[in-house]
Amino acid sequence: MWLPLIGLIAGIVLGFVLDLRVPQEYSSYVSIALLAGLDTIFGGIRAYLERMFNVRIFMSGFFFNTLFAAGLAFLGAFLGIDLYMAAIVAFGVRLFNNLAVIRRIVLSKWLSQRM
Amino acid sequence: MTGNDRKIMFILAAISAIIGVMLATQLRSNLYPQQAESRSISELRSTLQKELEKHKTLLADISKYELLFYQYETALDEGESVEVMKEELARARKLAGMVSVEGPGVTVRIVDLDRRPSSLLTEQVEPAEGDAGREPGTSAGAYPDESTFPVPAGQVPQTNNDSVESFESFELAENGNVTIRTEGNSTQDGGKEGTGDIHVEGPPPLVIDQDLRMVVNELLVNGAKAVSLNGHRLIATSSIRNVGSSIQVDTKFIKPPYVFKALGDPETLISGLKLANIEGIFQIANKAVLMEKHDHLVIPAYQGTQTVRYMRPVKAKGES
Repeated sequence: MWLPLIGLIAGIVLGFVLDLRVPQEYSSYVSIALLAGLDTIFGGIRAYLERMFNVRIFMSGFFFNTLFAAGLAFLGAFLGIDLYMAAIVAFGVRLFNNLAVIRRIVLSKWLSQRM
Repeated sequence: MTGNDRKIMFILAAISAIIGVMLATQLRSNLYPQQAESRSISELRSTLQKELEKHKTLLADISKYELLFYQYETALDEGESVEVMKEELARARKLAGMVSVEGPGVTVRIVDLDRRPSSLLTEQVEPAEGDAGREPGTSAGAYPDESTFPVPAGQVPQTNNDSVESFESFELAENGNVTIRTEGNSTQDGGKEGTGDIHVEGPPPLVIDQDLRMVVNELLVNGAKAVSLNGHRLIATSSIRNVGSSIQVDTKFIKPPYVFKALGDPETLISGLKLANIEGIFQIANKAVLMEKHDHLVIPAYQGTQTVRYMRPVKAKGES
């Protein structure tokens, strides 16, 4: 259970050590991709808790979500449509949805263990 | 199931690591922006335009200087014309009298007849001092001669002319002017041929500018290349003229004895002067002309400044 958290910390440390920098104008796309990735992670955790976890769906979901989020936001900037906002809203809603489901599942598990 | 779980955990860890890297990158980019570009697009555009123009002018400068460099190089290749130009400049300066020159030549001294050549260089005594011990006289010629010979103390003032006996009176004005009245004084404003009033002011011009100009002319016509008068180099625009009772060379006062220095063939110069009867002319003014040949004579440079005004060269077509 702690392995993903260790992975996250290791990734953050690696990112700071590598000192990667993104140009200011591409910063929003990275943030979108980040949001999509987080959403995928929480979706994966939720699926795992619901025992519906599928590695292929998770992997494809992660990469496709991040790439499509960034790509569509990029395309939207060209077309004059704020797909960036759409992606933020969609992934934000899904993220909080997933968090709520995870919270409920964890809470019900904890309650059932107490009973 | 545990193997599957572990696999899932590893995948989640890997994905988390990727997300962590993205997070760190994003944080870095947002917390410490590489360069805070706060200028607007139009501002940047105008700046870019300016820089482009600067670049263009710099490129133009480079090409200009390269062209100049190329010209100089080709000029250097073509028979070292810089040397030629320098030589030409030195020659022009020499001709214009801007440099001291030396060579064989003659000195022409115009001195008082009675004096010995050894004392020629002593300063002519002004008439204002001890004028009581000195008696002005007039020569019979066109040049009034009241030359102020220094006489030994206690000696009776001598004049070299017999006409001193004919003086009726002479009086000294308070400003040092000497008014001489001659015996045959008939006209008040005469002054011609020594029969009228002769008003002599200060050191009177025994030798006037005309005589000196004549000497200079004779020197030049006999091939003198450089002439100086009392150390003043004579150039193309030099003037010799009477100013009041003195003679000026290029607006600088000169005093007797007058010493000409001229570079040229000494024989030609001296014979030319003798042919022009310079000695005879100065003898009338009671002056001796001493000519000396020199193998090595130095003539100083022109000391004034020459400014080119009111003239510019005429540009003829087809001139290279």
